[in-house]
Amino acid sequence: MDKLWSVAANDIRVTFKDRTIWLQLVIIPVVIMFFIGLANGGFGGNGVVKIRLDVFDQDNSALSGQLLADLRAANGALILCPMDGGEDNACRLNGATLTEELAAERVKNGTTQATIIIPGGFGEAALAGQPASLIYRSQETPGQASAALGALQAVVQRVGGAAVAAQVAVQTTGSLAVEDEDGFKQAVYNAASALWNSLPPTVSFSESAAKEGRRPSGFSQSVPGIGTMYVMAATVVVMFVFIQERKQWTFQRILTMPVAPWQFVGGKLLARFVNGMIQYGVAFAFGFIVGAYFGDSPLALVMVMVAFALCSTALGLLFATLVKTEQQAGSVINLVVLIAAPLGGAWWPLEIVPEWMRTVGHISPIAWAMDAFRSVIFYGGGVESVVTPVLVLLGMTAVLFIIAVSRFKYE
Amino acid sequence: MQNGHKQVLVEVRGLKKTFKRKDGTVVEAVKGIDLDIYRGEVFSLLGPNGAGKSTTISMLSGLLSPTEGEAKIGGYSITTQALEAKKLLGVVPQEIALYPTLSARQNLEFFGRMYGLHGSELAKSVDEVLDFIDLRERHKDRIDTFSGGMKRRVNIGVGLLHKPQLVYMDEPTVGVDPQSRRRILDTVIRLKEERKMTVLYTTHLMEESQELSSRVGIIDYGQIIALGTVGELIQKVGEEDRLIFSVGEQQVPDALLERFRTEVPGITSASYAASEFTPVAGLEDSAELVIEKRSTGAMRVVRSGQVMDGEITVHAKRGRKALPELLRIADEMGVDILSVEVREPDLEAVFLHLTGRALRE
Repeated sequence: MDKLWSVAANDIRVTFKDRTIWLQLVIIPVVIMFFIGLANGGFGGNGVVKIRLDVFDQDNSALSGQLLADLRAANGALILCPMDGGEDNACRLNGATLTEELAAERVKNGTTQATIIIPGGFGEAALAGQPASLIYRSQETPGQASAALGALQAVVQRVGGAAVAAQVAVQTTGSLAVEDEDGFKQAVYNAASALWNSLPPTVSFSESAAKEGRRPSGFSQSVPGIGTMYVMAATVVVMFVFIQERKQWTFQRILTMPVAPWQFVGGKLLARFVNGMIQYGVAFAFGFIVGAYFGDSPLALVMVMVAFALCSTALGLLFATLVKTEQQAGSVINLVVLIAAPLGGAWWPLEIVPEWMRTVGHISPIAWAMDAFRSVIFYGGGVESVVTPVLVLLGMTAVLFIIAVSRFKYE
Repeated sequence: MQNGHKQVLVEVRGLKKTFKRKDGTVVEAVKGIDLDIYRGEVFSLLGPNGAGKSTTISMLSGLLSPTEGEAKIGGYSITTQALEAKKLLGVVPQEIALYPTLSARQNLEFFGRMYGLHGSELAKSVDEVLDFIDLRERHKDRIDTFSGGMKRRVNIGVGLLHKPQLVYMDEPTVGVDPQSRRRILDTVIRLKEERKMTVLYTTHLMEESQELSSRVGIIDYGQIIALGTVGELIQKVGEEDRLIFSVGEQQVPDALLERFRTEVPGITSASYAASEFTPVAGLEDSAELVIEKRSTGAMRVVRSGQVMDGEITVHAKRGRKALPELLRIADEMGVDILSVEVREPDLEAVFLHLTGRALRE
C-alpha cells in the first residue's frame, strides 16, 4: 500500500504545482456558484425555483382555503394556479381559462409540476371525521423526491389532524347547544391548527423551513450543483492524467519498476478521488461563507460526496480506456461534464424539467447525487434519505470500475 | 548460471514479439532472440532505427510481454517472477521520463519510493545519485528549467537509485549536444568500473558501441545477426580500409572505377554513389531555378536531376598506401577529388558487410 499512497501523494503534488489549478479548483467554480446562486434566489430563503401547481378548489370551504394557505406557507417556491398568477403571468396561462383538460396538458408538457383537485365536500367530510381525500395528478416517478408532493402531504396531515380536533370539539360543544355551530367549528379548528403549528411537524421540510434564517437559499442549490459538476471535472480528468503519464513516459517507467500495476492505477484513482473531495470542500466552504443552509445532516452530505466522487472517478477510468490523445480527452471531459451536469440537475432542480427529461437525467450520476443533496437540504432528510441514491452511485461505481479494469491496457 | 568463468546475469531464449496492425497484418518486431549477458560487462545492442532494439529492451524490462520465448534476470523469469526480476533492474528509457514540474530531488525521491526505498536509506541514495550525476547544486530546481543534457543525467540517475545489478540504457544520447553526450558515455564507463554494474546499452551509433562495449550484438530486422567482442566482429570483414572520395557534383565515368580496380594493388572494390536534386512537389516546372541553401550557408542555383554530393567508395587492404596512386588516376581522368576520408575497419563496416546497408540508412 505504501507505493499506492506514494503514487497518490505524488499525483496531488504534481497537480498543485500547476498554479492554474487554483483557477479550476476555486475561482471559476466559486464565480459560477455565486451567479447561479443569485439567479436561483440568492441569499433569500426559498428563492430556489418556482414550482407551478394547477389547483381546482371544488370544495371552496374554509378548510380547503386553509389547506391552500398552508401549502403556500410550507413552500414558498410553490405557485398555486390560477389564484397566484398575478400580473407577471407567473402561472403562464397567458389569459386562458384553466380547465381540467388544460391542466392535464400543462402537466404533460412540464409547465406545471402537478394538478391538485379538492373535491366538493372535502372540508365537510374531514370535519365530520369521514374519509376525505383530494386528487394529486402528476407525472412523477414513484421514489423520486418532489417538493410539491412533500409539501402537500405535510399540509394534508396537519390540516387533517386539526380537523379531527375540530370534530371532537363540535361533538363536545354540540351537547351544550352552541348557537353559531359553524363559527364555533372554525374557531376550534383555528385554535387546534395554531396548537399544531407549535408542535414538531411530521414532515421535515416544514421543520427546516420553520427555522428562522435557516431556510434553503439559491446557494443551497448552486453550491451542491456546481460543486458536483466541478467534482466530476476534477475526477474524470483521470483519463487525461493517464494519457499525459504515458506521453511523458513516467507511466512506462513505473511499469519497469517493482510496482504492481494496481498500485500505480490505484494511486492515480485515489489522487483524483481526493481532488474531488477537495473540490467539494471548496464548494461547501463557499456555501458556508455566504450563509447557505445545507440541512441538518452533514454525515448524509459526506456520504453523497464520497459516493459521487468514487463514481465519477470510475467513470474517468473507463474513459481512460477509450481515449487515445490529450485532445480527445479534453473533448470528452467537456462533453461528459457539460451534458451530465444540466441533465442531472446541477444547474437547476430536476423538479422543473419535464418528466421524460427527469427520467433521462438519471442516467447521469449527478442526478442521483442531486436527489440526495436536495433530500437533505430542501426536505430535511437525514442519512436514511440518501441511502437509495448512494447505493445507486456505488452500484454505478462498481459496474464502471469492473468494465474499466477489464479494458485497461498496461502495455 | 556460469558460462566458463563468466556469470550469466541475463539469459534470453527464443524471445519473440509480434504486433497486430489495425488492418489485421502481423508484424514480427523481434524474431526469436537468444542472448546471454554476463555480470559486469557493458553489452551493446547495435542496430539501425526500427531494428527491434527498443522492443527487446521493453520485453526485458516488463513493458511488453513476449509473444514467445523467455528471459531471466538473475535467475528470475521476466514473465512469471516479474517483480523479483525488476528489483535487480534499473531502466533508463530513451525518453525523458520525469515529472517536469517537480524538482530533481522530488523526482528522485518519488521514483526511489517506487523502488521500495524509504526514510534515511532513500535520502542517502538520492544524495549519492545527485553527486554521481553532478547535479547536487541544482537539486531543488524544477526539471523543466534544466538543459537537455541535465535532464538526461537525471533520467539516468533515476535508474540507479536502488543500486541495481543491471542497467538498461535505451539510446541515452539521442538528441543531446556533444558535451552532454561525452558526459553520458563517461557515466556508462563509471557504472562499469566504479559500481561494477552490468549495462545493456542500445544504440544505432557505431562509435558509442565500439567505445563502450565489452561485447556487441548487432540486430537487424528483429534478429541478432552477429554477436561478439568488437575485435571478433571486425575480423568478420577482414582488415580492409574504406576510402571515401568526395567528388561533389561531378559525373564519374565508369572507366575511372575500372582503372581503380585494375591498376592499383590491394583494391577489392570501387563504387560510386550520388544523390540527385529533386525539387519539392509543385515546383517541378520551375526546377531549374530552384535555389538550395547549402550547409555552408551559401546560396546557389541547382537544376532538377542535377547530381549532388557524389562519393566514390574504395575498399583496399592497405588504404593509405594506395591513396597517392588513386589520386593520380583521378587527376588523369579529370575528376577533382574534393576530400578524402580513410576509415579503418569498424562496426559500421561489419554492418555493411552483413546487411549490404549502412547503419544510418
